[in-house]
Amino acid sequence: MTFAYFFGCVIPSRYPGIEYAVRYVTGKEGLNLDVMDIPEFSCCPVPGIFYSTDRDTWLALAARNLCLAQREKAEIMTVCNGCFGSLLKATEYLAEPKRLGQANKILSKIGMKYTGIPEKVEGSSRKIFRPVSVRHFVDVVHTDQSMKLLAEKIKRPLGKLRVAVHYGCHYLRPTEWTAIDDPNDPVKVDDIVKAVGAESIDYEDKLACCGAGGGVRSHVVELANALTEDKFKNISNENADVIVTPCPFCLLQFDNAQKTFTKRGIPVIHVAQLMAIALGADISKLGFELHNISCNPLLAKIGVMTK
Amino acid sequence: MGEAEKVFISGLRENLIEDKVITEADLDPNFAAEIIRYGGKDVMTCLQCGNCTGVCPISLKIEYKTRTTIKYCQFGMKNYTLGTRWVCATCYRCFEHCPADLNPAEVMIALRHIAIREGIIPPFVKTAASNLLRYGLTVRPDAAMLKERQRLGLPTAPSTLPLWESVKKEIATIIEATKYDRLLGISAKEEGA
Repeated sequence: MTFAYFFGCVIPSRYPGIEYAVRYVTGKEGLNLDVMDIPEFSCCPVPGIFYSTDRDTWLALAARNLCLAQREKAEIMTVCNGCFGSLLKATEYLAEPKRLGQANKILSKIGMKYTGIPEKVEGSSRKIFRPVSVRHFVDVVHTDQSMKLLAEKIKRPLGKLRVAVHYGCHYLRPTEWTAIDDPNDPVKVDDIVKAVGAESIDYEDKLACCGAGGGVRSHVVELANALTEDKFKNISNENADVIVTPCPFCLLQFDNAQKTFTKRGIPVIHVAQLMAIALGADISKLGFELHNISCNPLLAKIGVMTK
Repeated sequence: MGEAEKVFISGLRENLIEDKVITEADLDPNFAAEIIRYGGKDVMTCLQCGNCTGVCPISLKIEYKTRTTIKYCQFGMKNYTLGTRWVCATCYRCFEHCPADLNPAEVMIALRHIAIREGIIPPFVKTAASNLLRYGLTVRPDAAMLKERQRLGLPTAPSTLPLWESVKKEIATIIEATKYDRLLGISAKEEGA
């Protein structure tokens, strides 16, 4: 199956290092997956803004992205929890004939139609339509085969590292749609952290929200930061070296909020960046200098300081 | 935590001081029906057990309680509840922990739908919508980042390719068709141009 990269808005515009890391991890030096680019992908659109204010607009814009994946017969691979939640929810909505009809009526104005990907049934001339599948990067790389390959290809074992994993809400919830991991005891990111040789530490309230989602960061940034502060305290109590998250928006929140309440911030990186370090990627290309919280203590600990 | 509380402008605390009497004229009997129409289908079936407040990360911090908000919605206290619209982080913890399997987060989202239609539009919603029309992305692409991308050896950002013009046109067509631009008081044609 071909996976189409879906980077969304935050990664290309704020943290291009994550994009490099994802391309590296899925590429030849990494897990060698069958991947492609669809440059026409727009914003997912953001659930905190569009899903919250007008469902028809949200659904039509999301269906447009799904139509592009349908055209290429590809699975969408999102690197952000927000895009994942938004697009996955859209596929569920489009399974309802009434919603599908409404969305297709709007899409007809731009010459698109969402049907799902046609598949031939063996021994019959009939075709069935399979909904476009929306996958999270973590879910895609967490297969037996890929995890084995990851363990084999490690060039920089990260043995000394104490990692605090932050999953982020829309990776786990609502479980009605997002059933890719155990919602009360998720393991996939921890497994990846263990596979690269690092230690995934347990801390209090691990599944709590970073505070940024649903428009809270845009509306009352102090409230979002207060939630992040709680999380930060729990993480720093365990002497973590780095926070690893599968969501660039949580990353953005941790990266920007920490300076408002502490002078000794903990570096925060995307899980793809962690994998890329372990797989031996060029450190200067992972964009760590673009993070507000300096990643130098982390790089020094691994022993890969470039300067 | 004092700071966030100061900034929080729910209106609930000021308006619901204990000795204030709320008369029938303050209530909107059609409020629950309106919430249900915008997707908060569980508003009237809530049992008021309070599990949602207990697990809500925001309720720990400020004078906003999920259970209470739902109660006000059931009563039809529209003017009081519309103030709480943008503090829900949509983490869906309330949904996971509800013993009756209801979805309080969708009620909060329905409140946002109603608030927008009452003309209470936070500036960042307008900014996000016009960013989407102008750049095809909700987060504005940054010139410095585009340069960084070159240094990292990444493919050219799609938002700088010629094909992006037609992408923006498609987005503008969709937003015009759903009348979302008129809802927010912006113009898809002008912003997109």
